[in-house]
Amino acid sequence: MATIRNEIRRLRFENGEMTQQELADKISVTRQTVNAIEQGKYSPSLEVAFRIATVFGQPLESVFHYSKD
Amino acid sequence: MSFREKTAWISLLSMAGIYGYYFWSVVEAGPQAGGSHFSGLLGTVIALVVVQVVLTIAVAVFNPKDAQTPRDEREKLIELKSARFAYAGLATGIALACFFAAFDPPILFNTNALLFILVTAEIMRSGSQIIQHRRAA
Repeated sequence: MATIRNEIRRLRFENGEMTQQELADKISVTRQTVNAIEQGKYSPSLEVAFRIATVFGQPLESVFHYSKD
Repeated sequence: MSFREKTAWISLLSMAGIYGYYFWSVVEAGPQAGGSHFSGLLGTVIALVVVQVVLTIAVAVFNPKDAQTPRDEREKLIELKSARFAYAGLATGIALACFFAAFDPPILFNTNALLFILVTAEIMRSGSQIIQHRRAA
Protein backbone atom coordinates (compact mmCIF):
# COMPACT_ATOMS: atom_id res chain seq x y z
CA MET A 1 0.00 0.00 0.00
CA ALA A 2 1.35 3.42 -0.97
CA THR A 3 1.73 6.13 1.65
CA ILE A 4 2.31 9.85 1.44
CA ARG A 5 4.29 11.32 4.32
CA ASN A 6 4.98 14.99 4.81
CA GLU A 7 7.28 17.39 6.62
CA ILE A 8 4.69 20.04 7.38
CA ARG A 9 4.99 19.84 11.16
CA ARG A 10 8.79 20.25 11.01
CA LEU A 11 8.54 23.04 8.45
CA ARG A 12 5.98 24.90 10.55
CA PHE A 13 8.34 24.65 13.53
CA GLU A 14 11.28 25.90 11.48
CA ASN A 15 9.24 28.82 10.14
CA GLY A 16 8.75 30.70 13.36
CA GLU A 17 6.56 28.02 14.95
CA MET A 18 3.80 28.82 12.51
CA THR A 19 0.44 27.62 13.80
CA GLN A 20 -1.87 25.34 11.83
CA GLN A 21 -4.36 28.21 11.63
CA GLU A 22 -1.74 30.54 10.14
CA LEU A 23 -0.82 27.96 7.53
CA ALA A 24 -4.50 27.29 6.85
CA ASP A 25 -5.13 31.00 6.25
CA LYS A 26 -2.17 31.21 3.84
CA ILE A 27 -3.35 28.27 1.71
CA SER A 28 -7.11 29.00 1.98
CA VAL A 29 -8.24 25.83 3.76
CA THR A 30 -9.56 25.19 7.26
CA ARG A 31 -7.32 24.45 10.25
CA GLN A 32 -8.93 20.98 10.46
CA THR A 33 -7.78 20.26 6.91
CA VAL A 34 -4.21 21.30 7.68
CA ASN A 35 -4.32 19.01 10.72
CA ALA A 36 -5.66 16.12 8.61
CA ILE A 37 -2.93 16.62 5.99
CA GLU A 38 -0.24 16.87 8.66
CA GLN A 39 -1.36 13.62 10.28
CA GLY A 40 -1.44 11.86 6.90
CA LYS A 41 -5.18 11.26 7.14
CA TYR A 42 -5.97 13.31 4.06
CA SER A 43 -3.98 13.63 0.86
CA PRO A 44 -4.37 17.16 -0.52
CA SER A 45 -4.94 18.03 -4.15
CA LEU A 46 -1.89 18.92 -6.21
CA GLU A 47 -2.88 22.58 -6.04
CA VAL A 48 -3.00 22.67 -2.23
CA ALA A 49 0.24 20.69 -2.05
CA PHE A 50 1.93 23.30 -4.25
CA ARG A 51 0.48 26.11 -2.13
CA ILE A 52 1.94 24.50 1.02
CA ALA A 53 5.34 24.09 -0.63
CA THR A 54 5.24 27.71 -1.80
CA VAL A 55 4.48 28.99 1.73
CA PHE A 56 7.61 27.24 3.03
CA GLY A 57 9.69 28.14 -0.05
CA GLN A 58 10.48 24.48 -0.66
CA PRO A 59 10.14 22.21 -3.70
CA LEU A 60 7.16 19.86 -3.53
CA GLU A 61 9.31 16.76 -3.05
CA SER A 62 10.88 18.28 0.07
CA VAL A 63 7.48 18.65 1.69
CA PHE A 64 5.74 15.45 0.53
CA HIS A 65 7.28 11.99 0.21
CA TYR A 66 5.66 9.14 -1.65
CA SER A 67 6.61 5.61 -0.73
CA LYS A 68 5.27 2.35 -2.06
CA ASP A 69 5.42 -0.21 0.77
CA MET B 1 -14.80 21.30 15.84
CA SER B 2 -15.27 23.03 12.48
CA PHE B 3 -18.32 25.09 11.53
CA ARG B 4 -19.39 22.45 8.98
CA GLU B 5 -19.26 19.71 11.60
CA LYS B 6 -21.32 21.82 14.00
CA THR B 7 -23.98 22.41 11.33
CA ALA B 8 -24.01 18.67 10.58
CA TRP B 9 -24.67 18.03 14.29
CA ILE B 10 -27.47 20.64 14.26
CA SER B 11 -29.03 18.98 11.23
CA LEU B 12 -28.73 15.46 12.67
CA LEU B 13 -30.06 16.24 16.15
CA SER B 14 -32.86 18.57 15.03
CA MET B 15 -34.11 16.15 12.37
CA ALA B 16 -33.90 13.13 14.66
CA GLY B 17 -35.61 14.98 17.50
CA ILE B 18 -38.33 16.88 15.65
CA TYR B 19 -39.19 14.28 13.02
CA GLY B 20 -38.85 11.56 15.67
CA TYR B 21 -41.57 13.30 17.66
CA TYR B 22 -43.71 13.69 14.52
CA PHE B 23 -43.48 10.01 13.54
CA TRP B 24 -44.11 8.94 17.12
CA SER B 25 -47.27 11.10 17.20
CA VAL B 26 -48.42 9.64 13.85
CA VAL B 27 -48.04 6.10 15.19
CA GLU B 28 -49.80 7.08 18.44
CA ALA B 29 -52.71 8.74 16.62
CA GLY B 30 -53.20 5.79 14.28
CA PRO B 31 -54.94 5.83 10.90
CA GLN B 32 -58.14 7.48 12.27
CA ALA B 33 -56.45 10.87 12.72
CA GLY B 34 -56.83 11.65 9.01
CA GLY B 35 -56.43 15.35 8.16
CA SER B 36 -54.82 16.30 11.48
CA HIS B 37 -51.62 14.70 10.21
CA PHE B 38 -51.22 17.55 7.72
CA SER B 39 -51.25 20.26 10.40
CA GLY B 40 -48.82 18.14 12.42
CA LEU B 41 -46.50 17.90 9.44
CA LEU B 42 -46.73 21.64 8.77
CA GLY B 43 -45.85 22.37 12.40
CA THR B 44 -42.95 19.92 12.20
CA VAL B 45 -41.49 21.58 9.11
CA ILE B 46 -41.84 25.05 10.64
CA ALA B 47 -40.27 23.89 13.92
CA LEU B 48 -37.40 22.27 12.03
CA VAL B 49 -36.67 25.40 9.98
CA VAL B 50 -36.82 27.66 13.05
CA VAL B 51 -34.59 25.40 15.18
CA GLN B 52 -32.00 24.91 12.42
CA VAL B 53 -31.87 28.60 11.48
CA VAL B 54 -31.62 29.80 15.10
CA LEU B 55 -28.93 27.26 16.05
CA THR B 56 -26.90 27.87 12.88
CA ILE B 57 -27.00 31.64 13.47
CA ALA B 58 -25.97 31.08 17.11
CA VAL B 59 -23.00 28.96 16.05
CA ALA B 60 -22.00 31.52 13.39
CA VAL B 61 -22.22 34.41 15.87
CA PHE B 62 -19.87 32.68 18.30
CA ASN B 63 -17.32 31.95 15.57
CA PRO B 64 -17.92 34.30 12.62
CA LYS B 65 -14.55 33.67 10.96
CA ASP B 66 -15.22 29.93 10.64
CA ALA B 67 -18.72 30.57 9.35
CA GLN B 68 -17.50 32.95 6.63
CA THR B 69 -14.71 30.66 5.42
CA PRO B 70 -15.77 28.98 2.18
CA ARG B 71 -15.77 25.18 2.01
CA ASP B 72 -12.33 23.81 1.21
CA GLU B 73 -11.60 20.74 -0.92
CA ARG B 74 -11.69 18.30 2.00
CA GLU B 75 -15.06 19.58 3.20
CA LYS B 76 -16.45 19.36 -0.34
CA LEU B 77 -15.19 15.78 -0.59
CA ILE B 78 -16.85 14.93 2.73
CA GLU B 79 -20.13 16.39 1.47
CA LEU B 80 -19.93 14.44 -1.79
CA LYS B 81 -19.14 11.14 -0.03
CA SER B 82 -21.98 11.73 2.43
CA ALA B 83 -24.44 12.57 -0.34
CA ARG B 84 -23.50 9.35 -2.14
CA PHE B 85 -24.00 7.35 1.07
CA ALA B 86 -27.38 8.99 1.71
CA TYR B 87 -28.43 8.40 -1.91
CA ALA B 88 -27.89 4.67 -1.45
CA GLY B 89 -30.22 4.76 1.56
CA LEU B 90 -32.75 6.88 -0.31
CA ALA B 91 -32.75 4.59 -3.36
CA THR B 92 -33.14 1.48 -1.19
CA GLY B 93 -35.98 3.11 0.73
CA ILE B 94 -37.80 4.16 -2.43
CA ALA B 95 -37.43 0.66 -3.89
CA LEU B 96 -38.97 -0.80 -0.71
CA ALA B 97 -41.77 1.80 -0.79
CA CYS B 98 -42.55 0.84 -4.41
CA PHE B 99 -42.69 -2.82 -3.38
CA PHE B 100 -45.08 -2.15 -0.49
CA ALA B 101 -47.19 0.17 -2.66
CA ALA B 102 -48.17 -2.92 -4.64
CA PHE B 103 -50.19 -4.07 -1.59
CA ASP B 104 -52.33 -0.93 -1.87
CA PRO B 105 -51.75 0.56 1.59
CA PRO B 106 -53.65 3.69 2.72
CA ILE B 107 -52.40 6.95 1.22
CA LEU B 108 -51.51 8.22 4.70
CA PHE B 109 -49.16 5.26 5.15
CA ASN B 110 -47.55 5.85 1.76
CA THR B 111 -47.04 9.56 2.40
CA ASN B 112 -45.48 9.04 5.82
CA ALA B 113 -43.37 6.13 4.58
CA LEU B 114 -41.88 8.33 1.84
CA LEU B 115 -41.30 11.13 4.34
CA PHE B 116 -39.64 8.69 6.73
CA ILE B 117 -37.33 7.50 3.94
CA LEU B 118 -36.41 11.10 3.07
CA VAL B 119 -35.71 11.99 6.71
CA THR B 120 -33.67 8.83 7.20
CA ALA B 121 -31.57 9.67 4.14
CA GLU B 122 -30.95 13.19 5.50
CA ILE B 123 -29.95 11.77 8.89
CA MET B 124 -27.61 9.34 7.12
CA ARG B 125 -26.06 12.27 5.25
CA SER B 126 -25.47 14.33 8.39
CA GLY B 127 -24.24 11.28 10.31
CA SER B 128 -21.80 10.40 7.55
CA GLN B 129 -20.49 13.99 7.51
CA ILE B 130 -19.89 13.89 11.27
CA ILE B 131 -18.09 10.54 11.10
CA GLN B 132 -15.83 11.73 8.27
CA HIS B 133 -15.08 15.01 10.03
CA ARG B 134 -14.16 12.98 13.16
CA ARG B 135 -11.94 10.68 11.10
CA ALA B 136 -10.42 13.81 9.57
CA ALA B 137 -10.72 12.64 5.97
